[in-house]
Amino acid sequence: MDYFYSYLILAEIYTLLGLSTNLLVGVVGIFSVSQAAVFGVGAYIVGDFLLAGTLSFLPALAVAALACILLNVLISLPSLRVAGDYFVVTSFGIQLLATATFTNWTAGTGGANGMPGVPPPDLLGLPIESTRGILAVTTVATLVACLAFWLILRAPFGRLLKAIREDESAVAAAGKGVLSAKVSAAALAGAFAGVAGGLYATYLSFIDPSSFDLDASILLLTMVVVGGARTLAGSIFGPFLLLALPQVLTFVAIPTTYAATARQLVYGALLIAFALFRPQGLLGERL
Amino acid sequence: MLALQLLVNGIVTGSALGVMAVSFALIYATTRVFHVAHAGVYTLGGYLAWTLVHRGVPDLPALVLAMAGCVVVGSLIQILLYGPLDRRGAAQLVVLIASLGALAVIQNLIAAVYSPDILEFPPNWAGHVFPLPGGLRLTGVQIATVVVDFIAFGLTLAFAHRTLLGKRIRAVASNPFLAEITRLEPRRVHVYVMAIASALVCLPGVLGPLDYGLQPYGGVTPLLTATIAMIAGGIGSLAGAFALAVAIVVLQNLALLVMPGEWSIGVTFAIFVVFMLLRPRGLFAGKA
Repeated sequence: MDYFYSYLILAEIYTLLGLSTNLLVGVVGIFSVSQAAVFGVGAYIVGDFLLAGTLSFLPALAVAALACILLNVLISLPSLRVAGDYFVVTSFGIQLLATATFTNWTAGTGGANGMPGVPPPDLLGLPIESTRGILAVTTVATLVACLAFWLILRAPFGRLLKAIREDESAVAAAGKGVLSAKVSAAALAGAFAGVAGGLYATYLSFIDPSSFDLDASILLLTMVVVGGARTLAGSIFGPFLLLALPQVLTFVAIPTTYAATARQLVYGALLIAFALFRPQGLLGERL
Repeated sequence: MLALQLLVNGIVTGSALGVMAVSFALIYATTRVFHVAHAGVYTLGGYLAWTLVHRGVPDLPALVLAMAGCVVVGSLIQILLYGPLDRRGAAQLVVLIASLGALAVIQNLIAAVYSPDILEFPPNWAGHVFPLPGGLRLTGVQIATVVVDFIAFGLTLAFAHRTLLGKRIRAVASNPFLAEITRLEPRRVHVYVMAIASALVCLPGVLGPLDYGLQPYGGVTPLLTATIAMIAGGIGSLAGAFALAVAIVVLQNLALLVMPGEWSIGVTFAIFVVFMLLRPRGLFAGKA
């Protein structure tokens, strides 16, 4: 049963990340392979504060969310200035730079060896150590994020974002603030990724750069592409489906050293197949 | 003295990345696809050559056969992936996702067949050290890299400006619509361009790993530098892409004087940010 709970917890954390990536890729329409970097920043910030004991869980999570909002807005700003393809370079660059920082800045991140012994989350001074307790925390966080995502897409603000995707200059000509709308969406995406990072660090109690590298970003993109862009159902379905995939792969006899390779191979094939045959994903709208 | 050696090393590696940047720029200017999977073709070239050399094929034929393999893979990506997406009018974002998927497939197939660890070429002429006046040292592979890559760059320029196919490619790049109605067959030209660019990128793809070994995921960072060089040089300017690649890698190398090598990605990225802020159209933009 614990095994199933741990799948649920991870799937919920990745749902937060799926929502985050969907806001950027699906809603704002920018290609991003750097959401894992933002996720990592959230995780390391919470890890650092809890290990040092300077902040308890909720304040640390708030700081991480704020930092990730700032970071995500900073990352996304170039996409508002330069043409779409140039942003690919920004995104790859940020991801590689983040991996270099996570791996080499030993004082802040533990370097390649990772950061062990992150304390479990606590609420009002009470540590939550049982898997069920953590599941409750991630469920609440995920439900709040899902509600926010759903409300935003229904609200006038969401229609504005959709209109920007369809025809940016028409929206600008109608006197709507294109820039502020995109920045707000990027900020929200940052908050989701930051919270996901904090939950991830406290649940696993060990984090290392491999959870936040380019492959992780590709996984996030695959979740959105497979689940479907711009819908709540797609953002939830993608992570739950793709995180079940490694469990399925364990039934196929693949040596463990090749498990990661096999997974990434499947993700790549899925990206190609969905781009070619079903750009709207399983439960989404057309990219 | 160290600075001079770093400068020379920078020019050597820079010429390799220059050829990568030129090949990427050819594809981008003509097909408008941001061909991320080019990093995979680059890596594949090295592994093909490694396999052939291990099977006892002499170096030069191994290089030529590896180039042929890259041509096949590059053309297939255009014919089976970008071509159909283009005909369907797929959004830029979808094409990018497909390209990223192709990159993941190529890299992980390589990792599955060979191993995710670094592979070294057997010791050969490449490691031979030639002392130069002034205490400089160049290895065999460094000399080969500079010579081959500068020749490849020169030939590419001559090809683009002097031959019929080269002119046809530039015509398609500058105005796809006009090229279509004057029966220059842009779609076929796209395949030719992918074939040529894949052959070109195989040169640094083989020569680089002779120096520092092969790694399945080793193509992304060079590609990032190459694309930054292309953008900084100005889209459409092959010479600009090559020159900026050399300049950026020289700067990366000189930065080693003041900071450790793990951070050189930061130097590259800082250069990109400066260009985006000050001159987003690049230095030599406008020439088709």
